[in-house]
Amino acid sequence: MRNFIELKDVAFSYELPNRLSIPALKGISLEIETGEYVAIIGANGSGKSTLARHLNALLVPQQGYVQVMGYDTYDRANHRKIRGQVGMVFQRPEDQIVATTITEDIAFGLENIGVPTPEIRDRVHQALELMGLWEERHRPPYLLSAGQMQRVALAGILAMRPQCIIFDEATAMLDPLGRRTIREMMARLHKEGLTIITITHFMEEAVEAERVIVLNKGTVALDAPPASVFSDVVQLAELGLALPPAGGLAKQLCLHFPELPPNLLTPLAVIEALDALPHSFDITPIPISKFTEGTEKTIEIAVDNLGHTYMQGTPLAHRALEGVTLAIAHQEAHGILGATGSGKSTLMQHLNGLLRPQEGTVQVGNYDLNDPRTDLKAVRRMVGLAFQIPELQIFEQYVGDEIAYGPRLFNLQREELRERVRWAMLLVGLDFETYKDRLTFTLSGGERRKVALASILALWPRILLLDEPTAGLDPQSRQELLGHLRHFSASGMTLVLSSHQMEDLAILTTQLTVMKKGSTVLHGSVREVFGQVEHLRELGLGLPVITQVVAGLRQRGWVLPAGIITLQPLVEHIKRARV
Amino acid sequence: MSDFEFLRFVTIGQYLPTDSMIHRLDPRTRLLSSLLLLLAITVAPHLMGIAIAIVTVIAGLIMARIPLKYALSGLLAPLPIIALLAMIQIFFGFQPDNGPLLWAWGPITISTGDLWNGVALITRFVALILTISLASFCISTTEIVHSLDYFLKPLRLFGIPTYDFILMIQVALRFLPLLAQEAERIAKAQASRGAEWGTGKSNLFQRIRQAFPLLIPLFLTSLRRAENLALAMEARGYQSGERRTALQQFHFQLADGIALSLILPIIYFVIRS
Repeated sequence: MRNFIELKDVAFSYELPNRLSIPALKGISLEIETGEYVAIIGANGSGKSTLARHLNALLVPQQGYVQVMGYDTYDRANHRKIRGQVGMVFQRPEDQIVATTITEDIAFGLENIGVPTPEIRDRVHQALELMGLWEERHRPPYLLSAGQMQRVALAGILAMRPQCIIFDEATAMLDPLGRRTIREMMARLHKEGLTIITITHFMEEAVEAERVIVLNKGTVALDAPPASVFSDVVQLAELGLALPPAGGLAKQLCLHFPELPPNLLTPLAVIEALDALPHSFDITPIPISKFTEGTEKTIEIAVDNLGHTYMQGTPLAHRALEGVTLAIAHQEAHGILGATGSGKSTLMQHLNGLLRPQEGTVQVGNYDLNDPRTDLKAVRRMVGLAFQIPELQIFEQYVGDEIAYGPRLFNLQREELRERVRWAMLLVGLDFETYKDRLTFTLSGGERRKVALASILALWPRILLLDEPTAGLDPQSRQELLGHLRHFSASGMTLVLSSHQMEDLAILTTQLTVMKKGSTVLHGSVREVFGQVEHLRELGLGLPVITQVVAGLRQRGWVLPAGIITLQPLVEHIKRARV
Repeated sequence: MSDFEFLRFVTIGQYLPTDSMIHRLDPRTRLLSSLLLLLAITVAPHLMGIAIAIVTVIAGLIMARIPLKYALSGLLAPLPIIALLAMIQIFFGFQPDNGPLLWAWGPITISTGDLWNGVALITRFVALILTISLASFCISTTEIVHSLDYFLKPLRLFGIPTYDFILMIQVALRFLPLLAQEAERIAKAQASRGAEWGTGKSNLFQRIRQAFPLLIPLFLTSLRRAENLALAMEARGYQSGERRTALQQFHFQLADGIALSLILPIIYFVIRS
């Protein structure tokens, strides 16, 4: 094998207008061979994307050199050759689509490298079929789901027949099904001999690679196979990373069953290791004590038979909700899951009065949202809504002003306003004195997310709605955010969150509602819903890792109740089976 | 109810793929016919010509299998403005010798000529709006881009980089609906924090003031998008000013010849009658 990509002492800094420069890469030397499957991981701001952009000559090193297939990226004349061979799929699906229809977009790269028309047509056709987009080929891109757009982007790259594809957090914005499709494609393309380089915040994706490169502050901290990278938990934490969920579960199981092999990283490995323990099948399962849901709680949010159509009365009318029914108790943490486009966001926007019910009824607290006289401003004050990637909506120059925007509109002034801002910042772990005068655009990804959250909390909402709260965050920022949300929930705030991260839902919520194509199809406690393994799989949704392990063991004949979502009952059952 | 549906107001590219015989014509035929018809309506001196144009467009809508009611509903929004213009034309038409005087009050006079002018103005606008609607229902943005590309080709002889220009139009058309969606999202996020969006309570002045905090994130996200898009385009081998090949190649067929030989005399009559 020869070196496909070679980096030698590569350094790169971003220049700011005020003559400061932020070093992003500090002397990186790497060799990537043809046909390798490499994952690049690291905390937000560790230089992952900068490094990736050096690999296909989007950036050119300020020191050192990068050679792709022997071509130096410094020479502009080589760029077309390199980019024809090294494709790249970016994080935000909607930003990388150039043309007004899918077919045109897939042809874009081929048009650029001068492929003749009949061949473009053939290759586009193949790419459409390979990615399962044939039915969609004439649709405008902005009407596609995120998962479909990402498939379009990948199809556009595959049509160019590259030798290497770089995925720059390509799965961050996708639902479980979309993620699975992209991950399966990566594995398949790797098998076909392509070099795959993936940048990710999902440790379970890094585990699937052959080699993991960990970046820390612009340098290579680790470069080894996944088994060795994920062997030292303390070191991972220092690098802003964590074990993959299955690895975390295995570590906890090891405390109870020291005979388990170390370094189990995938759900399958955990299942096989547990199954290999000597065990007997004739045990009676312990009934999991019914959850303490007997006490009648007051209903905070009641949605009945809600329907909604966007662009009503035009040929573009699009049915988003149909017969949605939902009841959320006071102080409950309620999760909503479903594929992209299943209507989660539309439902959430009904809960704080951004949308008025067209059909059916919505009652939030004492407010009847069907009543045209209802004070919508008061509803929105009571129900805070954090949109997906809320930090993109930041518009003030200073952190303090950003958080004060809402309270100010509700006529808070001077000391009171100041106290409110201080309180909100404290809740999300931002120090008031250090952060209030920081410029918002200089904040890191995690900090911006916190500011966005604080700006909603500053209104003292009684109910908090969160749309994909952890999307795009590195493992450590994610843990922190989940910690805060847990704290809010414990202190009596009603939480409603939609997420593609099953682990988040398992950690935070007690009740779940599953949506499919605009309707609610499944309700129940977290345990009941995650117990319906088959049903969830059919819907294209994922499972938390512990549920995956339980399902796997059940398949192998273990007598376990389906709805185990916490460690303790799992450990109990395994112990029983071992006697 | 739909205070936030900004996308509703973006009517460019409301393409309705009904796969009718009109849709199957070469896009250059469709674009050229529409442009010529628009031009003819604009310069048509007499009401008769405009009437011919309206009949033609309605025939076109029927042949294109567009629901007539939907097409005509597009006239409702601009109607008040057109009516106002017509009023001004009728009351303050200053052309002398304008037929028999019908009514006079001080300097304001209404003659039959003024009335005719008013009616002509309304019909002219109706004809223009219907033609533009028909064109946007039947020609997708991609087809517009490719036809323009074809029509602009001669400019390349003079060293004008039409590739870049066409790509610019294409990207703009592609991002317009996205921009509307983005604005919608930002307005909603601000409404959730107490801004008076969509509560139906704000007056015009407040609405203008609200637009400022909307513009900043919109501007910033557009910049970020532009940057990402430029990267994505570069990553796929795009280099400004380089020669490119094309997926679509159009073929002028018999049907196009028939269509043009029908539309050209109509255009002649619109101008001449």
